[in-house]
Amino acid sequence: MLPANRGIAVLLLSLVMAAFLQADGLRKQATIQAAGLQRNVALAVTKPLDSVSRALHLTTPRHELQVAIGRSHEDDVNTTVAFASPPPRPAAKPRPKPKPTRPVDARPLFTAAHPLRVWVGGDSLAEVPGQALQRVGSEVDVVGVESRLSTGLARPDLYNWFSRIQQVPQQFHPNVVVLSFGADDAHNYLAGVPAGTHVGPLGSRSWDAEYERRVEGITAELNAKGIYVVWLGLPNTDHHGFRASFPVVNRIIEQVVARHRALATFVNTWTLLSDSHGHYASYLRVHGQLTQVRLSDGTHYTPAGGDLIARQVLGQLGAVYRLRG
Amino acid sequence: MLFPTVTFAVFFSVVLPLSWALMRRQRVWRAFIIAASYVFYGWWDWRFVFLLVASTVVNHVLAVALYRTRPVAARKTLLALAVGFDLGILAYFKYTDFFLSSFDNVAGTSWLTNVTLPVGVSFYTFMAISYVVDTYRGQLVPASFARFAVFQAFFPHLVAGPIVRASELLPQLEEPRDPRRVDTSRAFFLIVSGLFLKVVIANHLATHIVDDVFAAPDRHSSLEVLVAIYGYAVQIFADFCGYTNIAIGVALLLGFEFPQNFESPYTAVTLQDFWRRWHMTLSRWLRDYLYIPLGGSRKGRLATYRNLMLTMLLGGLWHGAAWTFVVWGGIHGVGLCVERALGWRPHTRRQLWLGRLLTFHVVCLGWIFFRASSFGNARDVIVRLFDAWGQPSPLVTTSVVLAIAVGIGVQYVRPGVLVGLLGGFGRMPVVAQAACVAVALVLIDTLGPTGVAPFIYFRF
Repeated sequence: MLPANRGIAVLLLSLVMAAFLQADGLRKQATIQAAGLQRNVALAVTKPLDSVSRALHLTTPRHELQVAIGRSHEDDVNTTVAFASPPPRPAAKPRPKPKPTRPVDARPLFTAAHPLRVWVGGDSLAEVPGQALQRVGSEVDVVGVESRLSTGLARPDLYNWFSRIQQVPQQFHPNVVVLSFGADDAHNYLAGVPAGTHVGPLGSRSWDAEYERRVEGITAELNAKGIYVVWLGLPNTDHHGFRASFPVVNRIIEQVVARHRALATFVNTWTLLSDSHGHYASYLRVHGQLTQVRLSDGTHYTPAGGDLIARQVLGQLGAVYRLRG
Repeated sequence: MLFPTVTFAVFFSVVLPLSWALMRRQRVWRAFIIAASYVFYGWWDWRFVFLLVASTVVNHVLAVALYRTRPVAARKTLLALAVGFDLGILAYFKYTDFFLSSFDNVAGTSWLTNVTLPVGVSFYTFMAISYVVDTYRGQLVPASFARFAVFQAFFPHLVAGPIVRASELLPQLEEPRDPRRVDTSRAFFLIVSGLFLKVVIANHLATHIVDDVFAAPDRHSSLEVLVAIYGYAVQIFADFCGYTNIAIGVALLLGFEFPQNFESPYTAVTLQDFWRRWHMTLSRWLRDYLYIPLGGSRKGRLATYRNLMLTMLLGGLWHGAAWTFVVWGGIHGVGLCVERALGWRPHTRRQLWLGRLLTFHVVCLGWIFFRASSFGNARDVIVRLFDAWGQPSPLVTTSVVLAIAVGIGVQYVRPGVLVGLLGGFGRMPVVAQAACVAVALVLIDTLGPTGVAPFIYFRF
């Protein structure tokens, strides 16, 4: 056989063999793609592949390796959007107004010696502000930053944040949870929709309602455990498509936060990182110096941009907590 | 399109057989490979395909004009036009905001433009410059437009090198590649080793220690900072060497030979030796198109130091539009000058090890500025390196230390060992070879962190 043909044969054969050996992983990759022709083709190809591979136990070696390195659930696709505690019902009667008393600062005090425990989670936009919080707030102890590329609340099949966030209070005991979601949610497809429910495209009433249910569920669940929630809004962007879709997500999050004012806040990164005309800006003047705040992709933050957001977060937390560095 | 993705696997599974099927019909093959390369590039942002096409058209037209023109003044004008056009592209897309923000900060003006950087622009621009300069020097006869378009856009090297010379690739485009002369064993070894370096080593170090420590150095112990610096040294080697290994392997399967880009750089005994082993295609580009035209070492000691400094400072700026990259280049420039001034040439076994240790640590000092987001961040890393010993170091795990050890250890493997391994692989039947590659791919995919992080050199 000619070496060139041997190269082609080895390449194609090895890819076919690898496909059988990791059919579970490919099936998950196909499932979590955005809706469309590519996903349909991938699902059609991987379904028989996965069936044959499982029947012949070809996926077993990979699974055993995953178990050995503690990543046994990596190929699972969990689309459940479930909340441990139901969202609180609106109060039936208006409460009587409390009598005016002498103003006492009832805000809990946190210092460098007794820091506020903060956990940060979300998509790729969560990472830099999370790291910046560690940097700029000595009165804050960032107990964890969990940033997962291309994930969000729309696609629990890709990564199930609803299950993950339920584990956070017990695992990290945070006072505050900072969340950044939506950059990868602003598209038409929502996974994990309740059976019998039809959801229309992004921006439709049904899409808004389902997304709002998810934001509301997470906020209410964390609030029920006494955890204050900071929602980072989506920033103004250089990406044409995102410029229309990000405000949809921001509006929904703001609406939910407005209902949970006592235990939640919305950080408006759109305004914070826009120039004085409200346009996208990759450079902003910080302490008089022009500073790059956005990466060249026009969406993600530079560390300096993260610092701006972190200071804004601390400022808004200052309304609820006394923070002394 | 990124190499370690299912999308690229599907793309290459189609392109490779078609490329060999069309190889004998060269005109069709060239049209096919140009189209495939544009698809590969446009997958990221199709709008910038037009920039690539414009670069190809302008450089080809000017190179042909240069070749046909005799008067020296006219030739110089044409050369200046071509180089000016290429540097103009770089200046506009890569440095506009950098220089404007620096100017605005001094002058208090506001001239910023918010330009998006096209991926790979630094690489294909440098290739175009070498093409027109070699034509000007009379070392090259301009190729046909289609051949030049293949040379500039050929997808294995398009977005992150290696920076292939026209004199290396154009002769290979003159005739159909010989299907009997394809070193498939080496190709698969390079692809698999490249994937391992990128997906397992580089991504593991980035996500398990480097990113956390550089983001907030004062929250970490001195030991964590030290291991993160070593970790970044290994991460950037594994990331970039991994990418170019895959690129060279993919080109080999298509029948083309690319120059080597790395040769065990952390075994270097001097900085000069380091630059003969690290990003070799950039080093020789800077030597041939910047250092030597500046006068090289021919015009006395002081001029040599000036030329070294200028070359390294501009080399630093090529890597990124930030002053931290200039300082990185400056550290290497000063180091090279000091070595030259002292005449440092290690010979004995002890001197060689001392040289390796010293060179590696000077390189690591440079990497701090290369990785840091600002001078303040670099200062914090350096200060923290000394003032927090004895504190808990939870990020220094066995897997992190192992990844660093493997990343450095592979550079000390003797070439003879690989020759033996490749020989054994080459003698296997096709099915056994495919099984070995398949198992390696599955292992790499399973051991690597989830998600595909972009290659560091994409943004250069």
